[in-house]
Amino acid sequence: MTTTRIRNGKVVDPAHRVDALVRDVCFEDGRIVALPSEQPVDQTIDASGCVVMAGGIDMHTHIGGGKVNLSRMLLPEDHRDRGDPLELSANPLELASCGVCAPGALATGYRYVAMGYTSAFEPAMVPANARHAHMEMGDVPIVDHGAYVMLGNDELLLEMLARNEDFERVRDYVGWTIDAHKALAVKVVNPGGISAFKYNQRKLDPDAAHAHWGVTPRQVVHALARAVHELRLPHPLHIHASNLGAAGNIASTLATIDALEGLPAHLTHVQFHAYGAAGPRKFSSAALALVEAVNARPNLSIDVGQVMFGQTVTASGDTMRQHANAGLSSPRKWICADIECDAGCGVLPFRYREESYVNALQWSIGLEIFLAAADPWRVVMTTDHPNGAPFHTYPHLIRLLMDKAFRDEQLARLHPDVAAQSALGSIARELSLYEIAILTRAGPARLLGLKDRGHLAPGAAADVTLYREQANREAMFATPAYVFKDGALVARDGRLTAVPIGGVHFATPDYDRGIEQTLRKRYASHGSIRFENAAIGRDELACACCNGGKLLPVECFEERSA
Amino acid sequence: MSWTCPFCPLLCDGFALSEGLELEGSDCPRARRGLAQAAPAANDAPAAIDARAATLDDALAEAARILSASRQPLFGGLATDVAGARALYRLAAACGAIYDHAHGRSAMHALRALQDRGAFATTLAEVRNRSDLIVCLTGSPSAAYPEFFRRCGVGEPLVDARHVVFVGGPPDETLSGVGGVSVESVALEGDLFSAVAELGACLARPPRASSLAQLARRLAEARYAVIAYDLASLPAHGELIVEQVTRIVIALNETTRAAALPLGGADGASTANQVFAWLSGLPLRSRVGPRGIEHEPLLYDTERLIARREVDALLWVSSFTPALVPPRVDVPVVLLGHPAMTPPARGVSIAVATPGIGAAGHLFRTDGVVMMPLFAVREDRMPEVAEVVERLRATMLAEDDR
Repeated sequence: MTTTRIRNGKVVDPAHRVDALVRDVCFEDGRIVALPSEQPVDQTIDASGCVVMAGGIDMHTHIGGGKVNLSRMLLPEDHRDRGDPLELSANPLELASCGVCAPGALATGYRYVAMGYTSAFEPAMVPANARHAHMEMGDVPIVDHGAYVMLGNDELLLEMLARNEDFERVRDYVGWTIDAHKALAVKVVNPGGISAFKYNQRKLDPDAAHAHWGVTPRQVVHALARAVHELRLPHPLHIHASNLGAAGNIASTLATIDALEGLPAHLTHVQFHAYGAAGPRKFSSAALALVEAVNARPNLSIDVGQVMFGQTVTASGDTMRQHANAGLSSPRKWICADIECDAGCGVLPFRYREESYVNALQWSIGLEIFLAAADPWRVVMTTDHPNGAPFHTYPHLIRLLMDKAFRDEQLARLHPDVAAQSALGSIARELSLYEIAILTRAGPARLLGLKDRGHLAPGAAADVTLYREQANREAMFATPAYVFKDGALVARDGRLTAVPIGGVHFATPDYDRGIEQTLRKRYASHGSIRFENAAIGRDELACACCNGGKLLPVECFEERSA
Repeated sequence: MSWTCPFCPLLCDGFALSEGLELEGSDCPRARRGLAQAAPAANDAPAAIDARAATLDDALAEAARILSASRQPLFGGLATDVAGARALYRLAAACGAIYDHAHGRSAMHALRALQDRGAFATTLAEVRNRSDLIVCLTGSPSAAYPEFFRRCGVGEPLVDARHVVFVGGPPDETLSGVGGVSVESVALEGDLFSAVAELGACLARPPRASSLAQLARRLAEARYAVIAYDLASLPAHGELIVEQVTRIVIALNETTRAAALPLGGADGASTANQVFAWLSGLPLRSRVGPRGIEHEPLLYDTERLIARREVDALLWVSSFTPALVPPRVDVPVVLLGHPAMTPPARGVSIAVATPGIGAAGHLFRTDGVVMMPLFAVREDRMPEVAEVVERLRATMLAEDDR
């Protein structure tokens, strides 16, 4: 039983409406506890001059699985400094691992923790690649993790919808897929479009019919959102909408919202889905139209997918859109793959340039969305790592959101037409620390149903970050003074002090196992492995995949409060 | 009992084993050979020092001494599963070893083309459900991967009519008379380098009358053409062929659908490559050097390093088959091997369990997407590679501390 008391820190804990109050935060054996102020403890941390928050939570970051590893293999230059090796940390606790936009799994964990993040979620786990994804995430040290399984381009679901199969069967199939692959949530990527591309269709608008199955993205979105809702999963359907990155795609984004018919959903990396086709270049910001739709619908939450300038790599399940954009890859090489009648994969290196009108506008659209959204509880900070930018740019992003003068300075450096096209210059809002805490921990924890994360009340996991308060918010958030994971000090001033193994969050839906009969036949008639080998057992997940990390099953809602 | 066969990268899980480890439902020679080699009971001498029987503890201590004394060790073979590869990376990082797989040369054909051009690939279930044209570039895939055509669903009604083309070789006899399948042989015009270049040129320009031009037309007209090739059968500089195939597939995808299906990654080659890449950021043929991780796909070639005497100790891992023997070297060897392997005259030998026979484990299938679980089908009392390597690392670190 070791007890720790953090004193004199300004606590920012939006889950309990605590805004910069100086109070103690205590923990014992990995959990936050309430201790009387006179009670002696094993360790006291003086947090004078520090802001105390729960550990950061990245709810949409590509940290494990096929496309992540392909990105590493595609880009040896990301792991070199021109001809030389990248310098490694001298800290003996860190095993050699490197990379900037496609870091090794080890480096990924080290960097998240050094930056004050304690949980990270892979949003695009392909069922056929689920073991691999869990293995890689298991090798991301320290942080807790979990994954969203991809559905909506699997031939079985499309066939079920085409046949008008009983909805209960669809729901059971979704339930089985989550359970078998130990997913926390369900993501749909370009609904029906990845499959349609396999039938040589090059574009699929929300109301267009899939060339083979005749099903529309609208139907796919609605069926999956309903299934996830009825399964009472903590996180609603996670949607990567149709027509990613295409000029004028705001129409299909709004049509996707419409397809939900009020069902709860999370729209991901919306920056890539908020483009108009106005202006001389036929590419304009539709950020405000998107935000207006989100503000008006309490059933929706979003994450942004902010773009930052520089070299990165885009790794996506959206083969249709990645193939369409392959000509833009920089350096000029890319990967596409069709996967197991389940999904796809497209990996394109990309360099976002300040002098590019389109890239600069993307940057500004992301910021507009952050700043115009009314309810911070329904907006999550992401760069869609590494697609918009690597996650280690978060501190810079925070400064852009909190510091109007700094933001204007950056805007002035960009392609001059952007300032003219975008509303960004006229937005005076500066986010507060309280709002940043919502965007980066309290909000994502709530959206994922993680009841004991993202806050600092007794009973919560002692994932705690202490930032030394500084006017330069980038410097403040880049190198927290202290980071605790489950009560253990894991980083001090950016240097790792311990490397525990993270746990894995997964959902535990109830469904009718009768569906297994259908699936067993389906695997035999159409698949490439035996049905019995599809599901990942709990022991396999904990021991073989996650290096003995803790299993963190997440309960479904008793009754859904939509 | 149910089984995943670890002896080829198709990792078939559809065939059962009898109690006596006899294969049921397939006459795959690769699986039979692997099983026959696995059949003898555990070695009486699971560990040896300088080819003389030793306890596991003594063997580990000697292995640790060899690695500690080495100024530049090489980790070769690397024929193990995910757990073994994870442990090997930790050990390699601790002693600055260069790492390469026994099939490193063929793995580099794929990797170097990927690093320069990218890839456009598919997986077995897609081929089974979709492919109306399979073009085999390096002879019949069933020579090295006996269940290949069955795993691709050739002969099943999922695709109405499948056409299989064998470039530069005779048609696979097993396909003659299979319903719904037509086969064809297309002669090479020159070597494979010129044939794929010519094929690409035929696609780009109005085709002339030649058998490759006809094949180009067939590819362009197919709904979902798959170009399959065996990485191990490619000649030196095979990455140029892989790259050209990628370019052909990219060109085909301008108007129709097509993908490549590289075959390879046997004996844990693709598994080691993936695991080392995800842990460190860089794939095989790298080392954790004093200045950082160095990736040298040409320099860090096992054969070259040994010929040039650039390494002074060899740790060799071969847990699937006794056939993957370490190269002849005059430096001390630490062999973590199949129990039927001959212990090195100079160095240490520790017999290890075979994943999929004596131990559970995981391997990547040839398409690099599906990671198959392997199951232990018998008790053989031998340690797993991961366990031995972890103990070796602990022994080494304890020695260093002393």
